Amino acid sequence: MTIALEIKDLAKKYKDFEAVAGLSFDVREGEIFALVGPNGVGKSTTLKMIATLLTPTAGTAAVFGRDTVRDAHAVRELISYLPEEAGAYKNLTGRDYLDFMAMVFLKDKARAAAAVAEGERLSGLGARLEDKIKTYSKGMARKLLLARAVMIRPRLAILDEPTSGLDIVNGYEIRKTIKELAAGGMTFLISSHNMGEIEFLSDRIGVINKGRLLACDTAAALKAKFSTEDLEEVFIKLTQ
Amino acid sequence: MNIFYILLKKEIKELVTRQLIFTIAATLLVFHVIGKSVGTHNKASAAHNTIVLLDLDRSALSARVAAAVRAGKTEVKPAGAGDIQAALAAPENISENSFMVIPAGLQAEVTAGRASRIEYYSRFRKDASGLGPAIAASRIRRTAQAATAEISSWLLERGMPSRTPAFLRDPAPAREFAVVDGHTAEISLSQVIGFIQSQSLFFPVAVFFIVILSAQMIMTAVASEKENKTLETLLSSPLDRRLLVTSKLAASCLIAAALSGAYMLGMRSFMAGVTSLGADPSVAVAAAGPALAQLGLTITSSGYLLIGLSVLFCILCALAVAFILGILSEDVKSIQTMMTPLMMPLMLAYLLPIFIDMSTAHAGIKFLLYAIPFTHAFMAPQNVMMGNISQVVWGIVYQAAVFAAGVALSARLFSGDALLTLRLKWPGTK
Ligand SMILES: Nc1ncnc2c1ncn2[C@@H]1O[C@H](COP(=O)(O)OP(=O)(O)O)[C@@H](O)[C@H]1O
Ligand SMILES: [Mg+2]
Repeated sequence: MTIALEIKDLAKKYKDFEAVAGLSFDVREGEIFALVGPNGVGKSTTLKMIATLLTPTAGTAAVFGRDTVRDAHAVRELISYLPEEAGAYKNLTGRDYLDFMAMVFLKDKARAAAAVAEGERLSGLGARLEDKIKTYSKGMARKLLLARAVMIRPRLAILDEPTSGLDIVNGYEIRKTIKELAAGGMTFLISSHNMGEIEFLSDRIGVINKGRLLACDTAAALKAKFSTEDLEEVFIKLTQ
Repeated sequence: MNIFYILLKKEIKELVTRQLIFTIAATLLVFHVIGKSVGTHNKASAAHNTIVLLDLDRSALSARVAAAVRAGKTEVKPAGAGDIQAALAAPENISENSFMVIPAGLQAEVTAGRASRIEYYSRFRKDASGLGPAIAASRIRRTAQAATAEISSWLLERGMPSRTPAFLRDPAPAREFAVVDGHTAEISLSQVIGFIQSQSLFFPVAVFFIVILSAQMIMTAVASEKENKTLETLLSSPLDRRLLVTSKLAASCLIAAALSGAYMLGMRSFMAGVTSLGADPSVAVAAAGPALAQLGLTITSSGYLLIGLSVLFCILCALAVAFILGILSEDVKSIQTMMTPLMMPLMLAYLLPIFIDMSTAHAGIKFLLYAIPFTHAFMAPQNVMMGNISQVVWGIVYQAAVFAAGVALSARLFSGDALLTLRLKWPGTK
């Protein structure tokens, strides 16, 4: 079994505010790992450090053995990152956006064309791909962005709150896509503040509060440990 | 309470942010600096109120004319030279700009009832700007009026009934000459001043708008990529980050080149219009055409190229600064206030030369102005016209250096945490 992501004592300070205060966990290849916790506990900060956008103030993160600071370029070749509340270039059509991003990541016409074909399928947008992104609804835009993130077949996909703010149908479709790709071997690190939806999506859950990991296990194991049927209750009990 | 009053209070609270107050304070500061330096500068140049008199008549009448001019609070400095060119070139007159020539035989001519002419020469410095030339022009006008009145009185005192009233009113009409860089041409002083002011007013306005336009363009581009997080996506890709900086700058450089090309063409057709209209008295500037050409106040093709380059590098400097400001702004909404650090030097560079004569300005003001890279483009047309080529070239070199520094700083900001965590904080904002 390969370790896709290895986090050791990872910490980040903004000026003198410690947003992430020493996180350690592993993610196995092909796994869907979810960082769960309320707003402002350091989930996005953690994902940004893994996505090589922020430099940790302490600790290390390694993607398939490559350090995110010393070997940032190699890590960028392995990952794909979907920022929280991301947008796209509003005046491009959905297809042009996929074309552009495929070239940025793959730099090879034939590989990019194959990726775009996959992205078109995964987005489920059909003919609407010919329309400009500014005409898309929130759900359509999110599906396009998710398709963009995974169409290049990254070894590790980092998705920050991929379903937040979406309706039931769009949220369901996105979760289905993630599951389908994980079954094909892609590794996912996602974040969410919604315990309910994460239970059905992820293989393992890391519960985080105030920049610290409180527990890290499967949903079933966590529920058994706190003898409850409700994951939200697990969190409440953990933070008390 | 009146509901309108409640709404009004809410609107004002929404509008009056700390940023707005800061922007207003910055604007006031700019105007204060301009007012202060204009005041001291013009007081200093008004104190120097001298006209060099070349009296070739040496008669009782010419002595009275000189006395009349002196009575008008203008200092009269007698020139020892034999002709006007020698007087202009004389080392003791090197800092003098106003000259008056009383021709030989003035007294004899007007006594005999024949009109004579008094000549006035105004020298324009290469970097003359601001109110200096206008002050010089009013000195010439006052002097001419005093001289005419004096000669007229002199004739009237002698009671000469056979002369026509028109002759008695103006027995020795003024002839005005302009001297630029050794070239002399007969031309109304107000026309030259109108022309120079059109240089220091009209062209900078065009550059001003081009700069604002392109700066806003790139700031919006960077800030919207930040706001949409598309920048984060690109930064997490295997793309070389330097490519991101250079591609954005290159795109706006191309647009900047197109804009400065348009500026150059527009200026060329403006100049062609000015110099081809000939002597049309209804158009103060246009009437001066041929004489302006004689003074060398025209622009060659290479001159246009130089001006275009100066404007191009001015825009590039603005783009580099705007790029950095875009990186530091939180979202698209905030770029309005983020423009302030760009607007302040731009306003100073534009407004100060309108009021201050750069040829005589205080060294501190000069340093301040030339440190602002935009100034060089604002003054390029005039410098090219006045033959001040080396200053334009050095200006371009300086602008290029500022641009390079800006690009280097942007590239640095792009390679670290700064892009995501750094934010320009206005004083007092959270
Ligand atoms: N650029 C920044 N500068 C300063 N503080 C920040 C910055 N980004 C996030 N924070 C703070 O760090 C904490 C964690 O933020 P974040 O990682 O976005 O949390 P989450 O994604 O779990 O909601 C929050 O308190 C937030 O205010
Ligand atoms: Mg977050």
